[in-house]
Amino acid sequence: MSHLFRILPALGFALALVLGWELYCALSGVSTLVLPAPSGVVGALVRERDEILRHAVSTVGVAATGFSLSVTFAFATSVALHFLPWLRRGAMPLLVASQTVPLVALAPLMILWFGFGLLPKVLLVILVTFFPILVSLLSGYRAAPRAFVDLMTSMGAGRGRIFRQVNLPAARASFFAGLRISATYAIVATIFAEYAGARQGIGIYILTAKNNFRADHVLAGVVVSAVLTLTLLGLLWLVDALTARRFRERRHAQD
Amino acid sequence: MLRIEGLTIRARDRVIVEDIGFDMAEDRVTCLIGPSGCGKTSVQKWLAGVLAPELSVEGQARRDGRGLARPDPDLAYQPQQDALFPWLTIRENACLGLGVAGLSRRAARAKVDPLFTPFGLAGCEDLFPDQLSGGMRQRAAFLRTIVQDTRYVLLDEPFSALDAVTRLTMQDWLCARLRDRPRGVLLITHDLHEATRIADRILVMSARPGRIVADIPLTIAREDRSEAALADLRTHLKTLLLEDTQ
Ligand SMILES: Nc1ncnc2c1ncn2[C@@H]1O[C@H](COP(=O)(O)OP(=O)(O)OP(=O)(O)O)[C@@H](O)[C@H]1O
Ligand SMILES: [Mg+2]
Repeated sequence: MSHLFRILPALGFALALVLGWELYCALSGVSTLVLPAPSGVVGALVRERDEILRHAVSTVGVAATGFSLSVTFAFATSVALHFLPWLRRGAMPLLVASQTVPLVALAPLMILWFGFGLLPKVLLVILVTFFPILVSLLSGYRAAPRAFVDLMTSMGAGRGRIFRQVNLPAARASFFAGLRISATYAIVATIFAEYAGARQGIGIYILTAKNNFRADHVLAGVVVSAVLTLTLLGLLWLVDALTARRFRERRHAQD
Repeated sequence: MLRIEGLTIRARDRVIVEDIGFDMAEDRVTCLIGPSGCGKTSVQKWLAGVLAPELSVEGQARRDGRGLARPDPDLAYQPQQDALFPWLTIRENACLGLGVAGLSRRAARAKVDPLFTPFGLAGCEDLFPDQLSGGMRQRAAFLRTIVQDTRYVLLDEPFSALDAVTRLTMQDWLCARLRDRPRGVLLITHDLHEATRIADRILVMSARPGRIVADIPLTIAREDRSEAALADLRTHLKTLLLEDTQ
């Protein structure tokens, strides 16, 4: 119930926006070629559902592959960088610099180097989502309270055990924050890669729709991409909530 | 017997503590008092083997005539604040040291579980630290320290986060635990009252650099330490500490 109340304002705003848009389209007589009404977009979604589904499956495949590989690599890298300070000092500036390369330049390059298959798209997703996860893990490790590390050291624990029992659990919240940031990039990066060159995917669907001057189809594509991103975020939230059980468990403290 | 000799700790630009030396018997409580920042925690961290590596150290510690290993398996350290891991239950927290020492989960549990009742924590085994009151958390931290069953125990201001009443009960409680099983305790405190209630001996440190300026044995038995009997000693300690801040 309280949840409902919290999202009520957001729902209200969204509803008002959609209604305003619908009214504007109806009253101003703007051409549907330029600005289709929300009802028109919904109509397009319904009519095109098979086509959109086919493209969406491809997009989800790329994004999911890229994102899971990215999480795996980011974790492995974070462990290496945590234990090897010289590697951290050497590699971190390069990693930061890599983040300044614009997506617009990266996507065509990937296509140029690796063709039109799965690889360039997955690589692009990894390149885009890797860094926030890595940084969130590293800063999470370092957020472990000094006293916890001291305590374990005084007990005779080695670095590996301290990492497992102190740094890793301490990084949990920060890790999920990084995951959420990366997740919002994952779908967008996939669509961008498809846009730069692919056979199918929501990016291709949007590109084709644009070339045919079908604004309603473009917007339908946008809606689908938003839904995909929100689904990914929802999944992450679920994983967080399920694995956090023992962190949040509240049985009332007796005195 | 634990003997510290000629301990000097230096930061890059200044001396933190200078020429500290004292003995710790393995059945006595030694209290270390001194103004804030005089280096009490640093002395303890050095003994526990967790002093920041950028500090340079001279001096040595010997246990029964042999060099003290760092960390030493016969010495347990309890950092300032309780340092209970929030992601572990109280039982898991209590088992930490035993796990490091190589005990299996089950063996550690078997050792820890019987202590929950004497430590006033019965029923709290599966709770998380943030579900306990301050006093209970402190007892849980003690449980984790004591179950390691070391001859020497380093406690850094264990009661400073507690309210006045809880603090008094916890002090009595600690004394009772030590009566059951005496250990060599080095207890840091700001609180003169606390030091005079618990200690067998009080070391007073001066500030900048930290030196031991007084070494005061307490001969009155703990049971007989009435306010009146301690008044003179407290006045004396107060003078020592205040002198130092001028
Ligand atoms: N890693 C470090 N590098 C430089 N100086 C340090 C370092 N660690 C501690 N110090 C300095 O050493 C001095 C003593 O610190 P310490 O924590 O031992 O004092 P303390 O007596 O325990 O103080 P308090 O009673 O406030 O806990 C402080 O002035 C502190 O700034
Ligand atoms: Mg201190």
